[in-house]
Amino acid sequence: MPQTTIYVAPRLAGTLGTIPPAVATVELARLFGRSAALAGISLTVEMGRTVALLGPNGAGKTTLLRILATAIRPSYGLLSIDGIDALREPELVRGRVVYLSHATGHYDDLTAEENLRFAATMFGWGQHEGADVCREALETVGLSDVAAARAVTFSAGMRKRLALARVLIARPSLLLLDEPHAALDGEGMVLVDRLLGLWKEAGVTVMVASHQAERVAGMADATVRLEGGLLAEVTGAGVSAGPVGASQRPRVAVAGMDR
Amino acid sequence: MSDLRRGLAVALAIARKDAVAELRGRQAAGSTLFFAALVLLLFGFALGPDAQRLADAAPGLLWLAIVFGGLLTVARLHQLETDDGAFEQLALYPVDRRAIYAGKALAGGAAMLVLGALLVPVVAILYAIPIGAAWLPLLVAVVLGAIGFAAIGTAYAGLTVRMRAREVMLPLLMLPIVAPLLLAAVKATAAALSGDPLGELGSWLQLLVAFDVIMLVVGVGTYGFLLED
Repeated sequence: MPQTTIYVAPRLAGTLGTIPPAVATVELARLFGRSAALAGISLTVEMGRTVALLGPNGAGKTTLLRILATAIRPSYGLLSIDGIDALREPELVRGRVVYLSHATGHYDDLTAEENLRFAATMFGWGQHEGADVCREALETVGLSDVAAARAVTFSAGMRKRLALARVLIARPSLLLLDEPHAALDGEGMVLVDRLLGLWKEAGVTVMVASHQAERVAGMADATVRLEGGLLAEVTGAGVSAGPVGASQRPRVAVAGMDR
Repeated sequence: MSDLRRGLAVALAIARKDAVAELRGRQAAGSTLFFAALVLLLFGFALGPDAQRLADAAPGLLWLAIVFGGLLTVARLHQLETDDGAFEQLALYPVDRRAIYAGKALAGGAAMLVLGALLVPVVAILYAIPIGAAWLPLLVAVVLGAIGFAAIGTAYAGLTVRMRAREVMLPLLMLPIVAPLLLAAVKATAAALSGDPLGELGSWLQLLVAFDVIMLVVGVGTYGFLLED
């Protein structure tokens, strides 16, 4: 098994030396037109926890992860990541959060290695150390042999592996994974499971959205279930919720939204 | 690593990545050059065989071809970012967004310069214009025009890349803004080609520099907002 180094962002101390939560949201909502993808989520996640985010299609899992990643702004609500106000200082948050989305974000005309070296520069690695971390990451995800092949020639599973390699060379404090097992073969799924274990050991907070409830919930400290843009159920350690369920609906209904 | 060095490294990485993708990108760069040269040829047909008329129109036609080709170029450099969600990924990297703009503008400027440098001899051949003595001021005019066009074109391409009708919206929004730059570039080119009998070349080049600065300031100031969803 290849050696895998896990890089982690330095921890931040909160006021009076307390440890701020990795994620704290208050009534987080996001509207797309007249439809509310998220209808008011209040959630606190302790640092270093692995959280399984479950729910049916359209429950709001991806929207929640994209807001936490600062890819989109919420329509209402408050959000802090590691104690940083993510709405006021998204650029600070981006140095601590890494998001693996459905879209892998690769450039088709660049090789796997070129894609990863580009990402390494963007994550702040220097030329030589960047080459080393990229080589190790490609080995970990099993793409060393095709490092010189263009991404356009890759299958969906290989693209996902390359995206995982990009996550490996980042230095996250909070890792947001949207369906990390999707498109992967059995070996790839085992790889994701192994990485989830390594990130947990290293103290990285991980939120995993998945339809593979059993697979993900087995290794998670807590499970958060979303339904219709609302928190439906929160179980396990290290995660606490605000008001759950129907009590949050009127806030959005007043605004004339669908949900 | 200091902020400036890091920003420079990021900008160069983006420009290098764009250049590599552009060169490998299924002959897109060659098609743009061919399209711009074809524009020059068709204008030549439209104006007829009158050598003097062609010589008079040459500076304007050269810059129209550069602008048309440039529109395709800056649009395509952002089109690369729509490969499989790359634009969102680019926006999520922990880097100063001014560095992202600088990288995209650098790639756009370099591509525009190559386009301009290749179109000048095409104009010289098609319209039978001697450029031997005028090459240096001509080069300066092309460089300054390319910088200004790439500076504002990058910002507008960033604005329109997520639009459904981006192919139409980019020229529609951008052409009115580049009109003053185009005018100054045409005048500078005309002065350079005619040997600058009225001594106006310097003024037009200074105006181009001023436009470049304005376009760069606008681009740097706005591009970060354009990356927000």
